[in-house]
Amino acid sequence: MGTNYVIYLALSALLFAFTAKAEIVNTNVERTLDLTSQLVKATTKISAEDSAGKPIAEYVFFTSEPSLAYISVKDNADRNVQIKTNEPVKGEQSFTFTFPKASAKQTFVVETVASKSILPHPEEIKQNDKQFVKYAGNLHLYSKYKTNSQKTNVKLSSSNILSHTQVKPFSVSSNKITLGPYENAEAFSQEALVIHYENSSPFVTVNYLERTLEISHWGNIAVQESIQMTHTGAKLKGSFSRYDFQKEGRSGLAALKSYKTYLPASASGVYYRDTNGNISTSNMNSVRDFIELELRPRFPLFGGWKTQYTLGYNVPSYEYMFSDGNKYQLKMNLIDHIYDNMAIDEATIKIILPEGSSDIKLSTPYSISRLPNELVHTYLDTTGRPVISFSKSNLVESHISDFTLYYSFSKISMLQEPLLVSGFIYIIFLATIVFLRLDFSITSHAHKE
Amino acid sequence: MDVMQRYVSPVNPAVFPHLATVLLVIGTFFTAWFFIFVVSRKSAKESTLIKELLISLCASVFLGFGIVFLLLTVGIYV
Repeated sequence: MGTNYVIYLALSALLFAFTAKAEIVNTNVERTLDLTSQLVKATTKISAEDSAGKPIAEYVFFTSEPSLAYISVKDNADRNVQIKTNEPVKGEQSFTFTFPKASAKQTFVVETVASKSILPHPEEIKQNDKQFVKYAGNLHLYSKYKTNSQKTNVKLSSSNILSHTQVKPFSVSSNKITLGPYENAEAFSQEALVIHYENSSPFVTVNYLERTLEISHWGNIAVQESIQMTHTGAKLKGSFSRYDFQKEGRSGLAALKSYKTYLPASASGVYYRDTNGNISTSNMNSVRDFIELELRPRFPLFGGWKTQYTLGYNVPSYEYMFSDGNKYQLKMNLIDHIYDNMAIDEATIKIILPEGSSDIKLSTPYSISRLPNELVHTYLDTTGRPVISFSKSNLVESHISDFTLYYSFSKISMLQEPLLVSGFIYIIFLATIVFLRLDFSITSHAHKE
Repeated sequence: MDVMQRYVSPVNPAVFPHLATVLLVIGTFFTAWFFIFVVSRKSAKESTLIKELLISLCASVFLGFGIVFLLLTVGIYV
């Protein structure tokens, strides 16, 4: 009996060791959902504990958001937690967090931003109607582990809430809903959380962004962003009345009239144009450490309407370029601010390096898909300038972060352009010299000297 | 590698317009000299080839650099 007991203990300990991951319990979960804009910004504070007292080194986090754009995790000492994206199983996306220090109790904060999770409902509204949207999510934290206690705070854009999931206990105060605390939710428990409320913030998505950075070693970086955007909120039903729009203040509340873009403080020579030419309805203000550009499209953007434009400016190279002999380093924002709470479907970034650059190496803050290098021919080029391009889909404001591009370039190559022009002019002079020495007259001169 | 210096242009962008003007003026002067010299040659047999080549070389070098700085001045960053 005694030996049996020992074997049983040993076996269960062995089993325990293998299933130790499953023994993690979420002791307390506090979620904050920010639904004030078109994005779902969730901050989840998870306190996890291992029931066997074993130190937790890894934690698997599942997300129920279909279009998750950004995730970041910080532990209680505000250190970054390493995130590994797992292969999606049956459409469920999961991440494995590896903590910098394993301990039996872990408290960490997960921040996620998802786009396309708040949908307009009804899908079509008239010009003077308010825009109502529906958020469908999960009432409980969708987790691999058991959750002892959880609470969700939801922040909405207005106090006009048509309906919301009513699972007791909950409380509503103006534009805030508090759901919970809910006790003892099983692992992978799913219960729908639906909130139908008024959200008049314009739902604008950038369908395609092409950002081109052209580097000149004469001290300039030219930035050009060509943007295609669509209002992805409730579509406009019926015709658009300019009269109503101008007269009534409550007309077209969800339409995008103007928005602000922030440019770096050193930006100069800013242009804002589309295929028709310059769009004159823009204002530029220099604020302390950035430039605020107020852009007003040619027409207010209603649901389902599209616009496209090009925005460009120059920045001096000393802000973003570093050098050491022939080695150069370009450190710049991968994408920049377009409008508050922006959502970008697809972005392509192109970096045009000067002719003769070699040993190009790119390092990015998050994974991107690299596109093949190309060559582009612009002014005074012979072999063409190397273009580094890469793309990334589903980007939000949290993705504004620096990439670093390393390359080698010899300073002598800078002389190539002026010498090319000089050579060209010299050829004209040589041709003149030769032509003046040729005799094109058809008759021989009567009076030779 | 983290001892890299901020990269500044070998020529201060503030002097681009002045540099363009001065270089283009010198270049134009040499060009004018070249053409005046060439057309005022007494006879085709006069051996002035070396001098012509040298004047035109000066003219083209100054004009070449002048044009590049003119491009940089107007915002075509080559």
